[in-house]
Amino acid sequence: MRKRSRTVALAIVGAASFALAGCQEEEVDAQAFPDRESCHQAAQSGGMFSDAECDKAFAEAEALHVESAPRYDSRAVCEEQHGEGACGTEAQATNGGGSGSIFMPLLAGYLIGNMLGGRGMSAAQPLYRSSDGKFTNAARTSTYSSNSGRAKMGRSMFTKPAATAGKAPMTRATATSRGGFGTSAGSRSGFGG
Amino acid sequence: MEKITLPERPDWREKAKEVGFTFADMHGEPYWDESSAYRFSLREIEEDIEDPSSELHAMCREAVDTITKDEALMTKLGIAPLHHDLVANSWADGAPELYGRFDLAYDGTGPAKLLEYNADTPTSLYETSAFQWDWLEEQIANGVLQDGDDQFNGLHEALIARFQELFEKGTDLHFTAMADSPEDYATVESLGWAARAAGLGAHYFELQKLALSTDGQFLDDKDQVIGTLFKLYPWEDLLNDEYATHIATSGCHMLEPAWKAVVSNKGILPVLWQMFEGHPNLLPAFFEADVARALDGQEAGPERFSSVAEQFQAGYVRKPIFSREGAAVEIIRAGTTIEATAQSGYGEFPRIVQAYAPLPEFDGFHPVIGSWIVGETCAGIGIREDRARITQDLSRFKPHFIRD
Repeated sequence: MRKRSRTVALAIVGAASFALAGCQEEEVDAQAFPDRESCHQAAQSGGMFSDAECDKAFAEAEALHVESAPRYDSRAVCEEQHGEGACGTEAQATNGGGSGSIFMPLLAGYLIGNMLGGRGMSAAQPLYRSSDGKFTNAARTSTYSSNSGRAKMGRSMFTKPAATAGKAPMTRATATSRGGFGTSAGSRSGFGG
Repeated sequence: MEKITLPERPDWREKAKEVGFTFADMHGEPYWDESSAYRFSLREIEEDIEDPSSELHAMCREAVDTITKDEALMTKLGIAPLHHDLVANSWADGAPELYGRFDLAYDGTGPAKLLEYNADTPTSLYETSAFQWDWLEEQIANGVLQDGDDQFNGLHEALIARFQELFEKGTDLHFTAMADSPEDYATVESLGWAARAAGLGAHYFELQKLALSTDGQFLDDKDQVIGTLFKLYPWEDLLNDEYATHIATSGCHMLEPAWKAVVSNKGILPVLWQMFEGHPNLLPAFFEADVARALDGQEAGPERFSSVAEQFQAGYVRKPIFSREGAAVEIIRAGTTIEATAQSGYGEFPRIVQAYAPLPEFDGFHPVIGSWIVGETCAGIGIREDRARITQDLSRFKPHFIRD
């Protein structure tokens, strides 16, 4: 008789990820799109969301992007976190409304949950690249292996991120102290095709 | 049982890094060491380690029943009278246990000898249940090991089954450890994964962030009430902390239960010897205070001692009832200390003495077998070896396999 398990849990994802992903919570059908166009295409082929929902969600995600995207005090720090060429200034992101010396990652897609917004929630969430080629949300609490595809996700993934606009941008020290991204390695919130 | 030199997986360090096994090297020394491995026969595993370990656990349960009904004995085991009810009631109420690890001296011949039982806060679960398992699977795939080779390592599945047995599907459990200890954390996360695989909610937070509510309940770092708490933090320390008196009234189910305070306690060793004198897996053991004069040769001592006095003359080990990672342990031979470890703050506790069972030596290292109990049954082993005779926190973890 076999004396060993058929499977094990090989990854140690770290306290921050483990605490967050642990909630037993209501699940939501969700889909990620790299851009508005791909949402419309999916709508025409009988997808989960209509054209109008695509537009509404995209507008919501863009507003959240301006309000809550991670902000950095230099392009170098931003690119360290999000990859080369993945950052722009706050001024560019807000069409001239913000600072030219604060840097934010570019919007790299958006995630829509099939749900009503609810208090403190947003059914649409901006996605950003992370330095390891994966994707992350504005609060940088979740890692996604892709910016397209459908999955069932916990409701907490649609918590409205805290606003960063008008707050002190992150210094190098605070940005690099956030370890643990990427250790969850897509196995946590992967999007099947 | 033999130690066999094997080629290491060329990429194991990258693999360790990738999966978050950050302490594969510690203090500049290898901790995970797969340059060699221990081979056991199936008979050695099943008859010498697995069955005796399950039996030892059953004996410990009998000992707990005796201890918790005897206030004087509980005091002797370092439990303050203030907490006798908490410990005794947890046993009387049948509060279930989750896991534990025996440390056994075993060389492939003769019965394994119980050195002590880490029944409350055993660590090295991750490297035992997961990284060791992966080593076996990969080394079989690499052709370094043979297709039919196996490993005594059903820990992950046994833990899932245990969680399913103890909790309704969907129950939320809290897991906690002290911050900034990657080794402790890895063990806690391994348990958390098993809980999730069992269909339970597993929430992690740092123990220092636990709060007390106005209703006397324990709260996590997000102010949520804790229904069940797995804590990788020793009972003897919990009972010394400010919130100790709130444990009984908090309504919180504790894992391990409070009665483990008298199991993960070297004071259980003399109690076991008293109850099961001569058992092949036990070493003669006594409370030092009961035999101090006999050890000095000033008197014969109690009868149970005089029958093993010669064995003690040949060598014995003195340990405080509470100590972790081999701290404050002394080996004494013919009245002389031949090896000792730092006191590390455990020195003030009462001591027990135990006949010395030297660990075997393989290529200059002394392996100790960690046999894991899940629920009430042995479910796997992990081996650590040390150059010194007393296994401490700088020991190396060695993988094992079964081949007849």
